[in-house]
Amino acid sequence: MLPDFASIIAETKEEALSCLSSLERAKVIAGGTDLMVKMRSGERYDHIIDITNIRELDGIAVKDGVVVIGPVATHARLGSDAAIRENAPGLALACSLVGSPQIRNMGTIGGNIVNASPAADSIPPMLIHDAMLTLESKGSSRKVRLEDIIVAPYKTSINTRELLGPVEITSLKGYREGYFRVAKRATWAISRLSVAWAISEEEGTFKDVKLAIGSCTPMPFRAVKVEGLLRGEKRQPGIIAEAVRIALEEIKLISGIRPSFAYKLPVLRGILENVLGGE
Amino acid sequence: MPVFIGQDVTRIDALDKVLGRAAFAYDLKTDDMLFACVVRSEKPHALIKKIETARALSMEGVAAVLTHIDIPGENSFGAIKKDQQFLAKDRVRYVGEPIAVVVGVNEEVARKASGFVRIEYEELQVISDPFVSMTSPVLIHDEGNLLSHRKVIKGDIEKGFNESDVIVENTYRTTWVDHAYMETEAGLGYMDDDGRIVVVSSTQNIHYKMKEISRMLAMPPERVRVIQATTGGGFGGKLDVTVEGFLALCVYHLKRTVVMRFTREESFLAQTKRHPLHIEYKTGARKDGSINAVRVNITGDTGPYISYGETVCLRAAVHATGPYEVPNVHVDSRMFYTNNPVAGAMRGFGVPQLAFAHESQLDKIAGILNMDPLDIRIKNALRRGSLTATSQALEHSAGLPETLKRIEPFWRSRERQNDRRGFGLGCMYYGIGNTGVSNPSDCYLTFMPEGRIALHSGVCEIGQGSDTVLMQILCESLAMDDEKIVLLRGDTDTSRDAGSSSASRQTYISGMAVCDAAQKMKKYLEKEGYYSGRPLTDICEAALGKGDAMFEGHFDPPTTPVDMETSRGAPYATYAFATHMTEVEVNEVTGACRVVKVHAAHDVGRAVNVKNVRGQICGGIAMGIGLALMEEFSPGKSKSLDDYYMPTSMDMPEVEAIIVEDREPTGPYGAKGVGEPALIPQAASIVNAIKDATGVEARELPCHIERLKLLLEARRQK
Repeated sequence: MLPDFASIIAETKEEALSCLSSLERAKVIAGGTDLMVKMRSGERYDHIIDITNIRELDGIAVKDGVVVIGPVATHARLGSDAAIRENAPGLALACSLVGSPQIRNMGTIGGNIVNASPAADSIPPMLIHDAMLTLESKGSSRKVRLEDIIVAPYKTSINTRELLGPVEITSLKGYREGYFRVAKRATWAISRLSVAWAISEEEGTFKDVKLAIGSCTPMPFRAVKVEGLLRGEKRQPGIIAEAVRIALEEIKLISGIRPSFAYKLPVLRGILENVLGGE
Repeated sequence: MPVFIGQDVTRIDALDKVLGRAAFAYDLKTDDMLFACVVRSEKPHALIKKIETARALSMEGVAAVLTHIDIPGENSFGAIKKDQQFLAKDRVRYVGEPIAVVVGVNEEVARKASGFVRIEYEELQVISDPFVSMTSPVLIHDEGNLLSHRKVIKGDIEKGFNESDVIVENTYRTTWVDHAYMETEAGLGYMDDDGRIVVVSSTQNIHYKMKEISRMLAMPPERVRVIQATTGGGFGGKLDVTVEGFLALCVYHLKRTVVMRFTREESFLAQTKRHPLHIEYKTGARKDGSINAVRVNITGDTGPYISYGETVCLRAAVHATGPYEVPNVHVDSRMFYTNNPVAGAMRGFGVPQLAFAHESQLDKIAGILNMDPLDIRIKNALRRGSLTATSQALEHSAGLPETLKRIEPFWRSRERQNDRRGFGLGCMYYGIGNTGVSNPSDCYLTFMPEGRIALHSGVCEIGQGSDTVLMQILCESLAMDDEKIVLLRGDTDTSRDAGSSSASRQTYISGMAVCDAAQKMKKYLEKEGYYSGRPLTDICEAALGKGDAMFEGHFDPPTTPVDMETSRGAPYATYAFATHMTEVEVNEVTGACRVVKVHAAHDVGRAVNVKNVRGQICGGIAMGIGLALMEEFSPGKSKSLDDYYMPTSMDMPEVEAIIVEDREPTGPYGAKGVGEPALIPQAASIVNAIKDATGVEARELPCHIERLKLLLEARRQK
């Protein structure tokens, strides 16, 4: 059962920040599809601050090749938004695969980030778009890269007084971009494995490759070694095999050998071969 | 006169359910009700040294903490044998076994207080594997760890194999499956004005529960009333006593209204599961494809209590050959006690597991003999005049050949859209009703003062559509519009025992009981001039005045008990038959198998409600997909629907339901049943389709993405 708590519906960012700075054991809610589950199984907060009414934290805007996403934008919105589909189609796809329609209507991109699940669908696509986060607290503000903020599974370096503000991602128009995930059923499932990619090619040569992998390591990660290896190389089986080998090695290095890898690594190999091979 | 049988009559419960008006057991409440919850064992096998309730009892808002000492009558229940305690006294045998009931002013208080009931245990050695149980000196019950050993023996098995040209031998494994009905176990109990105990619950059988409560409270059955609330699914899981005993006990002591609702986690932890079976299967066939010998060795994990373990043991054995005529059969089916969850009744009672095995075997033999999988099934199919494995002669309504014939055009014209696709067949037969025992249904009809007829039915409507089907049968039998009929269902005060809504038996057995009552009433109505135009209101009034008010209906299917050594006999009066053809697409990179399309042909005898039969078939296919590809309950690990994957609507294939009507002369208008048959061949057909698509043979269910990928990898490395 849900423990008792006081709830505050903040109408402005200032109100939310002031609550966060003054209240003890306070927690922001932005959809609650993760938070309510955790609270039901015993996580306790005295104050729950709902930020979904705050206009300036909502919405999606594009400016100079940068897409600014309000943290309370829902997965449903990101999945169907024209600007996201144009500038970050992999992210749109990933968001449209989260949970069920009900979860996508409630869950938000900000919530997905701060929950920091290794299996979060939106994180690998945001990593390839070099997502930059703004964190605000009363009287100050800082900018941090998404990959620097997640420090462990379900753990970020966001402090309890801070509020996640707009998320900025760079457009990768002109790239071949995608997202693929493996789940135990057609929908309403947590990703067992996910890959986000954006590849720019010219006459069979990799100009630029961006690759992020989820659910294999404690935090979804950018496979920068693979990206570096492929940049400028001709797309042919030898180099792809080498790239896949490096990706798998890197995962083993980060995570050690896990029982689940008997399944995951062969699957990842197949996915990466298809992705890099252009299938 | 309108015709009712074979029509798409809209279900009488449809509108209330789609509008959200139906009050499920979970929805029941009153202003002054108390909430009760169960304190459960945290140990799989232990002696109870001490139960400390004082602290919980002293908490504010706690009305009572009840333990075994508070049970005035017999502290035991069980559908087959009374081997399970309502509240454990001195020993627990599985994690989740009830020890105490805490009653509080609301759910929060009760659940919180239940955390303060302290149990002192002395742990015993745990048995978590039936193969260990088999030889272990640790006894879960004093009589030994073998619950049941049933055999099916026909012909000469050695000779059968000696005269076979091909022999195929494999081992098949299945695991626990949760019923995962939408509504978890729930109910409400109260004391009526006469001081009787009333329990309203989500259940598949009201009269059985009335008897169990009466024994527990040492009260005559007429002092107990059980009413079925609108029930959100059963699948066998609500056959055993769930909340009913606890509610009755609380009402007995507190004389207040008490409600119980199991959480999903609690339902997962403590309620019965499908039996995991280990099946060693050896098949011998001649060059022409005819099956000559079948030897099966079934080892099941029944958990620590009987529930329906004996039923599953026997039913799995007598259905082990599948729907084929086999001259030489030897089946050993054994169930062992363990400290795992109690395995009980679940849609099919062991037969879906066996179908997985016999259908895989048949495809394997067809492959070796270079025969078409459909042809080998046609060759061996049970038909009119065949002898089953128990040497029962099928005299009528044996429509398996017809289901195969209806599938044939789709099978012969099948084409792979891509090389990841494959097709598989699955056949089944299923005995309708309980196995080799009397399982009657009784009902009665009365005239109502307002000029209508009442059908008094003890049949539990659990979402399968029995209310509508029985009404259709009654309307047809009386040649009377449903507006003139009132259904009084699911109340022990106003009905007779119709037996459980299980074993696909209600349409056939209770349907016949309704026919029986209707025939008697029809004669009366004829005599009274109803069919020559005399208004029903007149007849009702006159009849009530004369005291001609009740017309009883009864049916008990003609069966014979099976022989204890050989299972020879006629355990069922009739059988349903089916063939499923399933198309799958396998992603070889991920191991994901998508079921694309299913053609499902079912011999139901007669479809009383065509739409409802199709609905049952679709539901069975969904559950079969779960059994084949997803559902895996791991004791201690599977806690809720968060980590227990079952199909969603997005996993549903396109379904073409084909209804075959080989009429059953002993059934109502020729009807048999379809509830369990709809599920039984589905997993088998998926496994065979996976083989067709990829070449890999799944011998363990579920064949989920990881298991399938590992099989694909192993094949690649070969």
